[in-house]
Amino acid sequence: MYFNKIFPALGLLVYLFAGTGCSFGSKSDKIEEISIVNFEQLEPKFSKTDDVLYVVNFWATWCAPCVKELPDFMAVNSEFSNSDDFRMILVSLDDSDNLEGPVKKFIEDKNLKGVELYLLDDIKRMNEWIPAIDSSWSGSIPATLFIRNGKSLKFVPGAIEKNELRKIILELKI
Amino acid sequence: MKTFVKYLATLIITSLALTSAFAQGYKVGDEATDFKLKNIDGKMVSLGDYKDAKGFIVIFTCNHCPYAVAYEDRIIALDKKYKALGYPVIAINPNDPEVQPQDSFNLMKERAKSKGFTFPYLIDEGQKIYPQYGAQRTPHVYILKKEGKKNIVKYIGAIDNNYKNANDADQKYVENALDTLLKGQDPEVKSTVAIGCTIKTK
Repeated sequence: MYFNKIFPALGLLVYLFAGTGCSFGSKSDKIEEISIVNFEQLEPKFSKTDDVLYVVNFWATWCAPCVKELPDFMAVNSEFSNSDDFRMILVSLDDSDNLEGPVKKFIEDKNLKGVELYLLDDIKRMNEWIPAIDSSWSGSIPATLFIRNGKSLKFVPGAIEKNELRKIILELKI
Repeated sequence: MKTFVKYLATLIITSLALTSAFAQGYKVGDEATDFKLKNIDGKMVSLGDYKDAKGFIVIFTCNHCPYAVAYEDRIIALDKKYKALGYPVIAINPNDPEVQPQDSFNLMKERAKSKGFTFPYLIDEGQKIYPQYGAQRTPHVYILKKEGKKNIVKYIGAIDNNYKNANDADQKYVENALDTLLKGQDPEVKSTVAIGCTIKTK
């Protein structure tokens, strides 16, 4: 007889506890936020005149060599992330339909933290933004752009091994 | 030691030059090579077979690549419209079936049959043709126009600007190029970035 009142009350209690569950976890459990952007929104993120060396890596969950090099990129990023003048940005070219499922799951599984994450969804203007990133770029991934104060310093199509990535960053740092 | 270094240097420079020459492929304005490639009906096909054509829509495409598949209906539509106007589609599978079994000759036959391809679907056996064109993706389009005895490249790149949604493609590169060519002028947009899967080779 009292079940009608107890169940909703219990339900409310469970809901309240579950709702606050996130705050019980440690900060490192939270996955890095990723937002969908078009190129107009993306470009300013790495073109600021702030003397920061931006390492912009283009990748996708379906791209095997991209996935293979990401741990190296994360390792190198943690070596430099304390510097004010260094920032790594990972730009996914995954289908935007897959953001909530495969992409976010991938980010969580691979622990992609300490980097800025975007998903570039701008299919109709690929013929504009691909050459804008680099005139020699065929659009294939992985590809990495090294840019500071809006000026492209280096563009590397293809995978970059850990030591090579570190070497490039050291050479380009002011 | 000195001569060895010289020899090695020459070898390296020459091979670099050769690979870059091949990696380039055609530019708009170049003459495109003819070929003799096997069609899904077993017969050999060359551009020279088409005495009445004004030109060709050469499309490097394949069975497996999701981008190529997304464009299949549009490729059939292009052939249906422009074949009658003198520009037939000639589809060529550039992939090595040993690397990508889904792009085997038998599966080409199946795909063409199930989709009702209205054009030749040729296999680039030995993969000698696509490197000369410089194709890097599937699909990758080369519009050729006959000028005298030559087939001149007039457009290179993507079919339109939305691989995902045909109804939301607002820049129909290939159609626009063909319409302009049919008026006797050169296309305004002569080349675009080809979007698709890489070509499979050993």
